Amino acid sequence: MPIDVSVVRKVAALARLRIEPSEEERYARELGGILGFVEQLQALDVAGIEPTSQVTEGARPALRPDEVRACDAREEALAAAPERDGDYFKVPQVV
Amino acid sequence: MSAPVIQESAEALARAVATGDRSATEVTGAFLAQADRTAPQLGTYLHRMAESALRDAEAIDRRRAKGERLGPLAGVPVALKDNICVRGVPTTCGSKILEGYRPPYDAHVVERLRAADAVIVGKTNCDEFAMGSSTENSAYQVTRNPWNLDCVPGGSSGGSAATVAALEAPLSLGSDTGGSVRQPAAFCGVYGLKPTYGAVSRYGLVAFASSLDQIGPFARSARDTALLQSAICGRDSRDTTSRADARPISLDTLERDLTGLRLGVPRAILDEAGEGLAPSIRATFESAISAYERAGASIVDVSLPHARYAIATYYLIAPAEASSNLARYDGVRYGVRRSESDLRGMYEATRGAGFGREVKRRILLGTYALSAGYYDAYYLRAQKVRTLIRKDFLDALALSDALLLPITPTPAFKIAEKSDDPLAMYLSDIFSIPASLAGVPALSFPASFDAAGLPIGLQLVGRPFEEETMLRVARAYENEHDAASRVPAIALADAGGAR
Repeated sequence: MPIDVSVVRKVAALARLRIEPSEEERYARELGGILGFVEQLQALDVAGIEPTSQVTEGARPALRPDEVRACDAREEALAAAPERDGDYFKVPQVV
Repeated sequence: MSAPVIQESAEALARAVATGDRSATEVTGAFLAQADRTAPQLGTYLHRMAESALRDAEAIDRRRAKGERLGPLAGVPVALKDNICVRGVPTTCGSKILEGYRPPYDAHVVERLRAADAVIVGKTNCDEFAMGSSTENSAYQVTRNPWNLDCVPGGSSGGSAATVAALEAPLSLGSDTGGSVRQPAAFCGVYGLKPTYGAVSRYGLVAFASSLDQIGPFARSARDTALLQSAICGRDSRDTTSRADARPISLDTLERDLTGLRLGVPRAILDEAGEGLAPSIRATFESAISAYERAGASIVDVSLPHARYAIATYYLIAPAEASSNLARYDGVRYGVRRSESDLRGMYEATRGAGFGREVKRRILLGTYALSAGYYDAYYLRAQKVRTLIRKDFLDALALSDALLLPITPTPAFKIAEKSDDPLAMYLSDIFSIPASLAGVPALSFPASFDAAGLPIGLQLVGRPFEEETMLRVARAYENEHDAASRVPAIALADAGGAR
């Protein structure tokens, strides 16, 4: 299934992924190959078949009480940020 | 003097430490020394934890000296794939985007290992974000197969498989999304278990494809595999898919003979690999069927009619889920950032520079499959086919107690042999992916060696939460064959690293 470089650009933008222009052709070719391969699923009749999103479906979801618990890793978590400002994660100006 | 420490089973080591015949420090030191010698050649570790391992071992020895009763993995070294979080210890998932990241918490399995008195010795190399079948997609280094240094160890948990094969650790953990524990286990001649979906909490496992990911053990015997699985399984409130149905495995049950056991053989699946199926794999498969007949099992013909669609199904579902899970790597809260003046530019630059080619390919594929206009045709359709594949397995496992099938179409391939052709690499997953989609447990066990001396594994698939049956079937084979007890030359000190 041929995939155009414009499709690669569009999908990369949706995924917030910078693709070098020199790489676009290659990704287009590889994606086209894989999408051509998965075309075989179109031949199957899946009418009336329920989709499986989790194989534990049917089992009761295991929930725990929604309650505040202590976290002793606040400083470690903040320290992992590429850029911080006090107790905040810092990003480039948005507005 | 008995066998060298590093050749002992985890079970024997834990018993020796618990009774005081050996100290945890001696045991840990022996494995660390082995890794000092062989890990630089094999590229098994991204981060070794020698200092903390020895500190942990000393603490275990002190507790024993005080008369405390030790856990089931007392003093046993365990290596972890680098996508399993250990507080304060670098965890990169083999990706540049997480270079320098130190998680602020321990994974559930890490808590369980510590509670069992295991000693964590390091973080092993893997394909970036567990995406790959050769560990060549690691952003940091190549890992070599201990049986032939020119070959890949398999992937994505290649470092965890190779470190156990090379006697650098008696046990390790990996993660299996489409075969990432079982396939490297086969390539490296060790056991690799993908537990039932829900058997082991993924809290602290870096997510790849959440409807498929499972943490699983590597070991050098069926009993050691059971020992490690028993230590990590069970309910954890921090992973809503984890289930209390997963219970510890009885080592006594593994010794029961196979009289009356029904072994299902889905022979038609061999044809799916076509020309790609190595004669050595086919021969090993056929001879194992005969061995099981002799051992008292009855062989039942079963079919998995939709297994042929598994690769196409998987390469829609897994990348779709990955594209969503990997959205979190945005240069804000952890990892590496590429600065740009605006937020969106920073996201794009960070992700463009931080992710490797295979990860980008899967994010693009997954984003495409989920995007407007394509969701029904791709992702939703794949989920429906998944339903058919799961039903195939449950039907086959109603007629039998476990299934026997190959795990890989060939033994380990050469480094760089397939790395330029993503689709060819995907097609080699034909035997591992179906059980992943079905969510059933599957075990790769060492079955034989080919003429070139490379290990050949076979796969058992069981009913949900019946890991014990598979391990019993593998144990029966181990009793009659020596494939699991062989050791690669590099693991023997006097081999001097010869190939």
